[in-house]
Amino acid sequence: MSKRLYRFTPIQRLFHGLLVFTFLIQAASGLGRMYMETPWGKALCLVFGGYDGAGEIHRGTGLFMLGVFALHLVYLLFCIQWRQLPGCLMGPDSMVPHPRDLGHFLQHVGWFFGLCPEPSLDRWGYWEKFDYWAVFWGMVILGGSGLMLAYPIFASSFMPGWSLNVAFWVHRLEALLAMGHVFMIHFFIGHLRPRHFPMDRSIFQGSARLETMARERPAWLDRLKTDGKLGERLTDEVPLARKAIYMVFGYAAMAAGLYLLVGALLHATHITW
Amino acid sequence: MEKKRIIPRWLAGLLVASAVLWGQASPAQEEAASPLYRYKAYEASTGYYEAYETRPRHQRPLIGITGLREGVFPYSPTAASVRNRSRLGDSHRALSFYNRRTCESCHTKASENLHSIRGNLTCRQCHGGEPIASIHHYRSPLNPIRRHAYVCSKCHQGASASYGGYIIHEPNPALASTFRTFPVLAWAFWIMIGIAGGTFALFIPHTVLWAIRELFSRDKPSKPGSTP
Ligand code: HEC
Ligand code: HEC
Ligand code: HEC
Repeated sequence: MSKRLYRFTPIQRLFHGLLVFTFLIQAASGLGRMYMETPWGKALCLVFGGYDGAGEIHRGTGLFMLGVFALHLVYLLFCIQWRQLPGCLMGPDSMVPHPRDLGHFLQHVGWFFGLCPEPSLDRWGYWEKFDYWAVFWGMVILGGSGLMLAYPIFASSFMPGWSLNVAFWVHRLEALLAMGHVFMIHFFIGHLRPRHFPMDRSIFQGSARLETMARERPAWLDRLKTDGKLGERLTDEVPLARKAIYMVFGYAAMAAGLYLLVGALLHATHITW
Repeated sequence: MEKKRIIPRWLAGLLVASAVLWGQASPAQEEAASPLYRYKAYEASTGYYEAYETRPRHQRPLIGITGLREGVFPYSPTAASVRNRSRLGDSHRALSFYNRRTCESCHTKASENLHSIRGNLTCRQCHGGEPIASIHHYRSPLNPIRRHAYVCSKCHQGASASYGGYIIHEPNPALASTFRTFPVLAWAFWIMIGIAGGTFALFIPHTVLWAIRELFSRDKPSKPGSTP
C-alpha cells in the first residue's frame, strides 16, 4: 500500500467541508432566484420551497457562513506563532503570499511551454494561496453586500438608499465570479487535472499521495527530511469504505457545481432581473 | 442642633452650584445642537405632513433636487432647474390615447424593475390612482421628501427617507449612459466585471495549459515501496 503525506488537520478539513456545503446551497438558492423566470430557476427554487423560501434559506445560510468565517478568524489567531512574528508569516508553512509565489507562477507557466523545469514548490502552491485568499475577499464582499441587502432598512440608516442598488450588483457579480472560479478552475485543478484524476482527496482525507507530493513539492519533502519530520507525517491509506465516502462527496459536489454552471450558462439569455 | 443642619445645607448649595456651573443636562444640548437629533424627532412623526411642512417657499414654486438634473432646461433665474413633465400634478395631462393603453406599453423601460418583476407590484401601488402625479410635483406621494412615508413604508415597515433613496427604476448598469445617470452603479459594475474578467482571463488559459502539459509530462512511475 502506498504511503501518504499528512497535509490537513481535521479542523481544516471540517472548515473546507462546511464551506463546500454552504457554498453550494448559496449558489443553488441564489441562482434559483436570479433565474426565477426560467423553468430551470423555478426548479432550483422549488428545492428550497419557492422564491421566498430560497430567499430565507439564502439569508440564513449566509449568516451561518459569516459565523463560520468568524470562527476561522479566531482559529487563525491560534495558528499564528506569536513569538516568531513576523518571520513565521513569511515562511513556507504560511499561507501569506510571498514574492517567491510570483516566481513559482512564472516558472510554472514557463514549464507549460517547455521553457524551464517544473518549479520545486514547497508546502503551498501559488494557486492554493490564491484560492484561500479568494474566500476571504469573497466573504468580505459577498458578506458585506449580502448583509446590506438582508437588512436594508438598518443599512440605509448608515448609508444612502441608492447604495442598495450598488450592493445588489456587486453581490451578484462577485457571486458569479466566485461560482465561475470554483466550478471551473478550482474543481478542475483539484479533481480533474491529469495528475490528480480521478480526484485529489487530500482536503477530505487529510493526506496526499506521497508520489504526487514528491513530484510537485520536492522542496517541502526536502525540508521535512532535513528537519527529520518526514516520518511523523507519513500515514497509511484509509479503508476503501472511507475512500468511497470521500469520492462520493467530492463527486456529488462537483456534479452539483457543474449542473449549476451549465444551467446558468444555457439560460443566461433569459435573465429578466 | 445648628451643627447638624449645616451638612444638608452645604449639600444643597453644592447641588445648586453644580447645576449652574455645569450647565444644562446633556440630552437637551444634543437636541438643540444636533441636526440628526432633530431629524429623528421629525421622522418619528406620524409620517403625514401638514401642507405648510411641505409647501415650497415663496418664489420657489418647484422643489429643486440637487443631483437630479436629467434632461433639464433653465426655468427661471430664481427657481431650480426643472424636468419636462416631472413637475405636473397630472403627468399625463393632454396625452392622447392615455386611457386606452397600459403603463407598460408607454413606459417599457420603467416596467423592468425589481418590484414589478419580482415583487408582483402594480405601478399604481406606488404611483397611486388617477391623476398620476409627476415624481417631483410638490404634492406627489413619490416626491423624495415624503416618498418613504407615503409609499415605501406601506410595505417596508420603518422605511426612512434614506431608504426611499433606493432607485426603484434602476438603469441598466452595463449601459454607457449609466455613467451619467448613476455613476457609482456603473463604476461598481464595470470594476467588478474587470476583476472577474481578469481572473478568468488569467486562470482559465493557465489551467487548460497546465492540464495539457501534465498530459505530456513524463512522470517516472515510481517503484513500489521506494521512498523519495
Ligand atoms: C400614452 C402613453 C402613456 C401611458 C399609457 C402611461 N404614460 Fe406615464 N407618461 C407618458 C409620457 C409621454 C410622460 C411624460 C414623459 C416622461 O417624463 O417620461 C409620462 C410621465 C409619467 C410619469 C412622470 C414622470 C416624471 O418624470 O416624473 C409617471 C410617474 C408616469 N408617467 C407613470 C405612469 C403610470 C403608472 C402609468 C400607468 C397607469 C402610465 N404612466 C401610463 C406616457 C404614458
Ligand atoms: C416600488 C414602487 C414603484 C413601482 C412598483 C413603480 N414605480 Fe415608477 N417610480 C417609483 C419611484 C420611487 C420613482 C422615482 C425615480 C426612481 O426611483 O427611479 C419612479 C419613477 C417613475 C417614472 C419617472 C421616470 C423614471 O424612470 O425615473 C416613471 C415613468 C415610472 N416610475 C413609471 C412606472 C411604471 C410604468 C410602473 C409599473 C410598471 C412603475 N413606475 C412602478 C416607484 C415605483
Ligand atoms: C406594495 C408593496 C411595496 C411597496 C409600496 C414598496 N416595496 Fe420595496 N419591495 C417589495 C417586495 C415584495 C420586495 C421583495 C422583492 C424580492 O423579494 O425580490 C421589495 C424589495 C425591496 C428592496 C430590496 C431589493 C433587494 O435587492 O434586496 C428595496 C431596497 C426596496 N424594496 C425599496 C423600496 C422603496 C425605496 C420603496 C418606496 C419607493 C418600496 N420599496 C416600496 C414591496 C414593496
